[in-house]
Amino acid sequence: MKTSIIYENIKLNDNTNIIKFPCNEKIEPGQFIMAWVPGINEIPLSFSGLNDLKEITIKIYGKASEHIAHLKKGDTVFFRGPYGKPFENTAGKKLLIGAGTGIASLVPLIDKNAYGVLSGKTGNDIVFQDRFEKKSIVTDDGSYGKKGYAVDALKDMDISEFDMIYACGPEIMLKSVMDYMVNINDRAQFSLERPMKCGIGICDSCSINGYQVCTDGPVFSLKQLMGMSEFGSTRLNYSGKRIKI
Amino acid sequence: MNLEVDLGIKISNPFILASGILDENGYTIKKILESGAGAAVTKSIGMEERRGYEPPVVYENDPVFINAIGLSNPGIDNFGEEIKIALAAKKPVIGSVFGKTVEEFSLIARKMEQYGASAVELNLSCPHVNGYGMEIGSDPDLVNEIVSEVKSKINIPVYSKLSPNTSDIVEEAKAAEKSDALVLINTVKAMAIDIKAKKPVLSNIYGGMSGKAIKPVGIRYVYEIKRELNKKIIGVGGIENINDAVEYMMAGASAVQIGTVVYKYGKNIFNKMNNDLVNYMIDNNIDNIDELTGVALK
Repeated sequence: MKTSIIYENIKLNDNTNIIKFPCNEKIEPGQFIMAWVPGINEIPLSFSGLNDLKEITIKIYGKASEHIAHLKKGDTVFFRGPYGKPFENTAGKKLLIGAGTGIASLVPLIDKNAYGVLSGKTGNDIVFQDRFEKKSIVTDDGSYGKKGYAVDALKDMDISEFDMIYACGPEIMLKSVMDYMVNINDRAQFSLERPMKCGIGICDSCSINGYQVCTDGPVFSLKQLMGMSEFGSTRLNYSGKRIKI
Repeated sequence: MNLEVDLGIKISNPFILASGILDENGYTIKKILESGAGAAVTKSIGMEERRGYEPPVVYENDPVFINAIGLSNPGIDNFGEEIKIALAAKKPVIGSVFGKTVEEFSLIARKMEQYGASAVELNLSCPHVNGYGMEIGSDPDLVNEIVSEVKSKINIPVYSKLSPNTSDIVEEAKAAEKSDALVLINTVKAMAIDIKAKKPVLSNIYGGMSGKAIKPVGIRYVYEIKRELNKKIIGVGGIENINDAVEYMMAGASAVQIGTVVYKYGKNIFNKMNNDLVNYMIDNNIDNIDELTGVALK
């Protein structure tokens, strides 16, 4: 395993932290590492910052994420990677659509031409809103921003004016966003998340229509996703049983 | 030029996807078959849905690869749809079966046949789950009983995948002699410790080693078993290029399985192997792939 030493840990809210650590690997936006907590578990994590210090934003959902979210300055982080196909960072007007901490992996793409759509179940799920100059915020319960889903925010704007659209979040949200996209051609890239075990394209856990999210993705183009009957419909659970999404 | 192999079923080329690699989701199996594999073996399927181990489930340090997925599978009752999806590629799908008892092996094999599997492969050798696979494989009477029972209950070919983790593989092979072919070898029991973490890497501690490093072990077993028993053999273990495949064939294999290397070269390794085989056969004046099998024994 590769290692790095934690330089800083910033608490973002009740269940989300940012860890910062130095790392010489060449990492591009959208790529991920498999972070290992010895004796506990190993989880995929993507980057919210790719400067001299690398930043990972972690929402706590289990033992491994809890452990990593609470690493202190001087602690060791174990990982392998980086893995996966990155976002293609294009020039021009960008629309970045993120659900909850899904927005974190889009943060490295932010520039002066970026417009953000940040969605969440509640206001507590909205993070990184201060990084965007121009943005729309929506929450399921209306506790922050407008009440509604990510796709509702898109309905209030003219998405055809963007040169590239980037999205990251739960598959069901991505599917609704994709279904809303007409006349976008292939000017959209989506980062998918499916249960991952090996991270290197052989265990078949995260597969979608023959593509492995860990190696062929996690970033897929709109055109690729249009041809995938499993997208937003079914996936395999951790055991390998087909379930509805 | 003839690349077709007869393993009780006809396979259009000798390159078969090994069990445990990209073979849980029917769409992935279909894609592998469309990428040039002659046939594909499914992930090992048992009676019940089984979660398997938590990550890390793989340790990668070329030429060594160790895995302990832990026989995660959806259970045989939930696997019919995946086989159906895979069969749309119109190539053989071989159902891998594991069980605790003779009855379990028999029942799962029968369901595989009902689902349309072209053959079954009995996993008598998984090295990292207690009570399954390797422990069964080390009991010749039980192996004999399982193979006899499954053979008597289904009409598709039965292959037995054997373990190198045994004191006497010849005895194990003889016990499985009623199989239509023997699959040699499963992974070699192994482990890795991360010296910075001072802990075993795999969550299960022990796993099965595959990758280039185990090829000489596989070659030896294929050669030895071919010499002792005149059975059809499917060679597997560390095959990364056409020379590795030819070596297995010369040792006695009629076909080979390819698995771990997919992490290095992707699914297209199967198309590449086919192209390279054709070139090898032209260069060496071979018309029929059968001519290669066991030449090192002659």
